[in-house]
Amino acid sequence: MSAPPLGAHADDVASALSALDRRAFLRLAGALIVAGSGPLGCHSGHSERGPDGGLEQLTPRTYAVFQAAAERVLGPGPAELVHRGVVNPAEIADRWLARLPELAPPLRAGLLVLEFAPFPLLPKLRPFTALPPSAQDAVLADLMGSSLDWKRTLFKGIKSFACLTFYSAAPSRALTGYPGPFGGPAGAEAIAQAMEEEE
Amino acid sequence: MHASPSQTLRADVVVIGTGAGGAPVAARLAEAGMDVVVLEAGPRLEPAQLTGDEGEMTAALYTLHVAQGSGLSLYAGNCVGGSTLINDALCWRPPPEVLASWHEEHGLDAFSAAAFGAHVDRAWEDVHASPTGPDHLNRNARRLALGATRLGWAGEAMPRSVKGCANLGMCNFGCPSGAKQSTARTYIPQAEAAGARIVPNTRVDQIEVKGGRAQAVLASRIDPVTRLRVGTLRVQARLVCVAAGVLGTPALLLRSGIACVAAGAGAGVQLHTSLHVTARFLEPVHGYYGPTMAYAVSEFSDVNGRTGPGFMLENTAVHPIATASALPGFGPAHARLMSELPFLARTLVVLRDQARGRVRLGAAGAPELHYSLGVSDLLRLRHGMVAIAQAYLAAGALEVYLPLNGSSPVRTESELARIPAQPLDPAQVSLLYAVHLFGGACMARGPDRGACDQDGRLFGVEGVVVSDASSLPSNTGVNPQITILANALRIAEAVVTRGTAS
Repeated sequence: MSAPPLGAHADDVASALSALDRRAFLRLAGALIVAGSGPLGCHSGHSERGPDGGLEQLTPRTYAVFQAAAERVLGPGPAELVHRGVVNPAEIADRWLARLPELAPPLRAGLLVLEFAPFPLLPKLRPFTALPPSAQDAVLADLMGSSLDWKRTLFKGIKSFACLTFYSAAPSRALTGYPGPFGGPAGAEAIAQAMEEEE
Repeated sequence: MHASPSQTLRADVVVIGTGAGGAPVAARLAEAGMDVVVLEAGPRLEPAQLTGDEGEMTAALYTLHVAQGSGLSLYAGNCVGGSTLINDALCWRPPPEVLASWHEEHGLDAFSAAAFGAHVDRAWEDVHASPTGPDHLNRNARRLALGATRLGWAGEAMPRSVKGCANLGMCNFGCPSGAKQSTARTYIPQAEAAGARIVPNTRVDQIEVKGGRAQAVLASRIDPVTRLRVGTLRVQARLVCVAAGVLGTPALLLRSGIACVAAGAGAGVQLHTSLHVTARFLEPVHGYYGPTMAYAVSEFSDVNGRTGPGFMLENTAVHPIATASALPGFGPAHARLMSELPFLARTLVVLRDQARGRVRLGAAGAPELHYSLGVSDLLRLRHGMVAIAQAYLAAGALEVYLPLNGSSPVRTESELARIPAQPLDPAQVSLLYAVHLFGGACMARGPDRGACDQDGRLFGVEGVVVSDASSLPSNTGVNPQITILANALRIAEAVVTRGTAS
C-alpha cells in the first residue's frame, strides 16, 4: 500500500503534536512545514485493516503503527509471536482503550507523530511503518534518548502500552518462564512444593 | 442487589465507595441499625472470577489515571473492595510523627495518639493484621533483606492482613485464595449481614444539595461489560458518606458545585511516588511466588523514630507486565532480560513526597490530578533508586537495572557511583507511579484551611461526610491501609454518636 503524500497528513501530525504538548508543537511547527516536501515511502509489513471484529479506539493507521512499534520495542522473541499472529498487541490495545477511553486521544496522537513526523522532528523521511527494522529502531532510540521531554514521554507511553498488551497475553509466558497464574488449591500446592524446593 | 434504570432508593445513609474509606462506615452504621445503601462504581467479582491472571485482573480491577505535570501513573481499585482488593495487604500503624502533625499543626484533636489509637487497634484486629513469618518471605524479599543486613540497614518483615495465606503471589490481583482480608471479605459482608444494600456498577455523578443540605445522590448505572452508562439511580438519604478515593471524592464535590468547599475541594493532594529497580541473580529468585510484598528497609524513613530522607524500600513481585514496564530500554536487550524473569528480583521506593497537587475537573467532569514533583522529591527518588542498587549488589546481584531508559546495567559500586547526582528526570524513568494518594478534601480546623472538619463533615453543607484518604491532611510515609480504615471507623463512630440528622 503506498503512503499518501505528507501534505494529506500534515493536519493529523499538527493535531497530534498539539495534543501531546502544545508548546512543543509550536516550537516544532516550523520544522514540520519545512519538512513537508520530503520524500515519502511505502508501507511494507503491516496491514491497516485491523482485526476482523473492527476497531473501537484505534484507527486502522494507528493500529498498524502500534503493532510495528510494539514489535521493535518488545524485541525479537515477542516480535516473532506478533508476526505469526499468536499475540496481537494492537488488538489488545484497542480493547484496553475501550475501557480507558480518556487514554485513547493521547496515544493515537503519539502514534500519528511516530508515523508521520519526518526529519528533523524524527530521524526519518518516510512513515514509520514503511521503514526497515533497523531504521525503526533508530527512531525509537532517538525518542528514548532525546533531550526533548515530549519525545521521551512518547517513547515511555508506547513502550508501556506495548509491554502491557503483549505480556498480558498467555502465549507470551513461554518466553519468560513465568509459570503462573496460580489460581485455586492446585496452584497453592504447586507453589508450596516450589518454595520447599528452594529451601 | 441490582437497581434498574431510573430507579430511586431511599435510605438513612448512602455510602459512596467500598474500599478502606467506605466499607467500614457502611458496616458500622448498618450494625447501628441504620438503613444503608452502598454504591460502587466498579464491578463485584465473585471469588471464581479472580483468576490471578495479571492481564485479566488488571483490566477488571484497576483504574488508571495519568497526573498532569509529572506523567505519574496513578493506579486504584475499581471494584467492590476498592484498593483493598488490589493492595499488597501491608499493614503499618500510623506513625506517631504523622499523627502529631495532624493533631498539633492541623489542629485535629481526634488524632492525638490516645484518641486515635483505639480505632487503629480495632482496624488492626478487623483485618487480621498479623506478622509475616519466614514461610511467607520469598527469595525476592530475602534478597533485599540480605543486602540490607550486609549494609547494616534497618529493615523488617511487614505485617499483612491475611488469614491462611497460600503464597499464590496474587495479592494485587484480588487474591484468588481469599486469604487477603480486603473489605470485600470483611466489612462489606458485615455490612450486608446487618442489612446494607450493596449496588455495584454505579458511578455517582452528583450530590443533590438544597437549602444547604444534601438531599440525595444522582448516579449512573454502568454496564459491567461495556462500562457504558445504561441507566440512572437516585438515592435519597439523610447522610451522604463520600469515600470515592482521592481522585473521585474531590471531583464529586466539584461536580456537585458545592461552592462553600471550593477552596478546599481538590487541594492538598500528596502521594507516595514509586519507582522500581530490578536485579538479576545467578540462582532463581522466583519472585512471583509468595506474598507480592513482605520486606521493608526502613533505614531511610523519616517516621517511626527515624530521621532519614523520607523513603522506604519494599520488595515487590516479579510479574511479567509490571516487570517489563519497569525494565529500561527496548528491543533485544529488553527481551533477553524478560526471558530471565525467574532470576529477577525487584524492589520499589515508597517516597514520602513533599510536593502537593490539586484535583481539578477535566473533560466530562472526570478527575484530573495536577501534580509536579519538586527537586527535593526527585533527588530523594534518585537516592532511593541508588540505595536499592546498593542493597542488591551487596546481596550478590550479577546486574542491577535502573528504571532509566537508556541506562546501562550496573555491576559494581564504582559503576553506581558514576550515576549523576542530579534530580531524576521523570520522563526518563520507565515507570513512575503512585498507588498511595492522600488529601484533596482535607480535614482542617476551618473552611479556610480544608474541606471538612475532623469528623469528616463537609464545611458549609449539612449531611455530607468524607471518610476516605482524601480527608487525610498529608501522606503518612508508610502504607496507609490501616490509617484509612481506622479513620473511617472513627468517622462512623462519630456519626453513630450524633445520629445521621446532624
